[in-house]
Amino acid sequence: MIAARKLHVEGRLAEVSLELPTGCLAAVLGPNGAGKSTLLQALAGLLPAEGEVAWRGEDLRRIPYLERARILAWVGQESHADFGFPVREVVAQGRFAYGDDGRGVDEALAAFDLAHLADRAVTRLSGGERRRVFLARALATGAPLQLWDEPTSHLDVRHGLEVLELANGLKAKGATVLMSLHDLRAAQCFDRVLVLHKGACVGSGAPEAVLTPELLLEVFGVRARRDADLILELPR
Amino acid sequence: MSGRGLALLLALLALALLAALVFGEVRLAPGEIWDVLNGHGDATARTILLDFRLPRALVAMAVGAALACSGVLMQSFFRNPLASPGLLGVSSGGALGAVLAFAFGWASTSLWALPLASIAGAFLATVAVIALAREGASTEHLLLAGVALNALFGAGTSFVLTLKAGHFEEGGQILFWLMGGLESRTWEHVWISLPGVVLACLLVLPSARALNLLAMGEQGAQSLGVNVRRLRWELILLSTVLTALATAVGGVVGFVGLIVPHLLRLAFGPDHRRLLPLSMLGGAAFVLACDLVARTMPGQLRLGVVTALAGGPFFLWMLKRGGRS
Repeated sequence: MIAARKLHVEGRLAEVSLELPTGCLAAVLGPNGAGKSTLLQALAGLLPAEGEVAWRGEDLRRIPYLERARILAWVGQESHADFGFPVREVVAQGRFAYGDDGRGVDEALAAFDLAHLADRAVTRLSGGERRRVFLARALATGAPLQLWDEPTSHLDVRHGLEVLELANGLKAKGATVLMSLHDLRAAQCFDRVLVLHKGACVGSGAPEAVLTPELLLEVFGVRARRDADLILELPR
Repeated sequence: MSGRGLALLLALLALALLAALVFGEVRLAPGEIWDVLNGHGDATARTILLDFRLPRALVAMAVGAALACSGVLMQSFFRNPLASPGLLGVSSGGALGAVLAFAFGWASTSLWALPLASIAGAFLATVAVIALAREGASTEHLLLAGVALNALFGAGTSFVLTLKAGHFEEGGQILFWLMGGLESRTWEHVWISLPGVVLACLLVLPSARALNLLAMGEQGAQSLGVNVRRLRWELILLSTVLTALATAVGGVVGFVGLIVPHLLRLAFGPDHRRLLPLSMLGGAAFVLACDLVARTMPGQLRLGVVTALAGGPFFLWMLKRGGRS
């Protein structure tokens, strides 16, 4: 499990705390610029932040890089590529901390529907395809803590749903998945949501308890109304 | 794939080396070369080969391998395929350091003074580019920083050369530092450059895998276990030292660090485990070939002029394609 206490990044994140148990699917919500990416980066130790991050009671940011890479995987919001590595090689990079043993690479490619693109250069993919490559790389690490920054943006509706289903599968296997998200309806199916607003945490807990009409109006500036809705789901 | 590329580049290098030893004002047959290398052969052939052609060829190989390898490292550091020692002004910085070492007589005090002064100059340039452009910088930013630094260091070099013209009049020294060349290179130049270049190249190779991760993004690399801060320092130090050693013995030789890695990436892919060794071999072969053209063509072309003639149009083509590889 992961516990963060009073994570603070000057001007971007104001003393945010959270605690996620093993086998948990959680979402960070909030409008643009609320500090979602900053929170994920701070948790992953990718930018200097005050406060504490503990993984199973140990200070996560003091764990050496290679060892930390076996604990957590992070996927950034940017999926830009300058050099044309083949898709398979990029996904295989997920095994860097394991001496490039190549384990789970094929499974990760298949999980993100990339097997047919395995030999294509990442520079020759669409934005959404490239996003899936970086997610597959994170999956290949087999890390029990997955931090994904807007994994469903740029993805078409089916691949977006598949990402959410995959996250659910990881949770069932005991992983902790924390992702930032803009889709408030998808967030309804998460175990936990954390709402950020102007760098501060304004709500945390089960989605139905946190995402009240009052909070949605205050934070996102939208009015919530229940109605018969078009449901899109993966065919069984 | 890797084996084929390595075999091809080794063959090219061997061919270029043979040509460099055979051709010149006096043509030596491969048989004569073989005799000399085995301790036989006539005195003239011995002098031509051992005092002139062999040291010059070895320096050419050191310069080529160093610049191409340095180019690969800079491209990784800036995550931009257009970054290279010549374009970013690092070579010019090294040349200024070298010229200062000559002008103030340090170069004659110790064998190490010249390369060290060159390293200091190149390091200054590297730090300046990093301060101006930062990693993942746009091509425009990088090239503009390079233009400014090249102009600045070039002007500094010209100033020192004219100020201390007396020191540099012999043997076309002034032209040498501004345009690059391998005229009258001796075993001393081999010792200044070759061991350091070989050592730096060997030190680079274990980081090839981490460079692949870095190429796909800095934060991602760090999250996957790469100590990015240490790796970036390694890149800065090694690429600067390599460029400086090349510049200390060859002057400013442009475009090698740009063309060679780019062509090899097109042919064999961007994997640094292949790209680094192939670039070292390819750079060595390329500079050997360019130097051969420079010294056998009528009109005494300079090495820097030949590489620029080959590299300039190539660079413009790359720029038009948007610098992607």
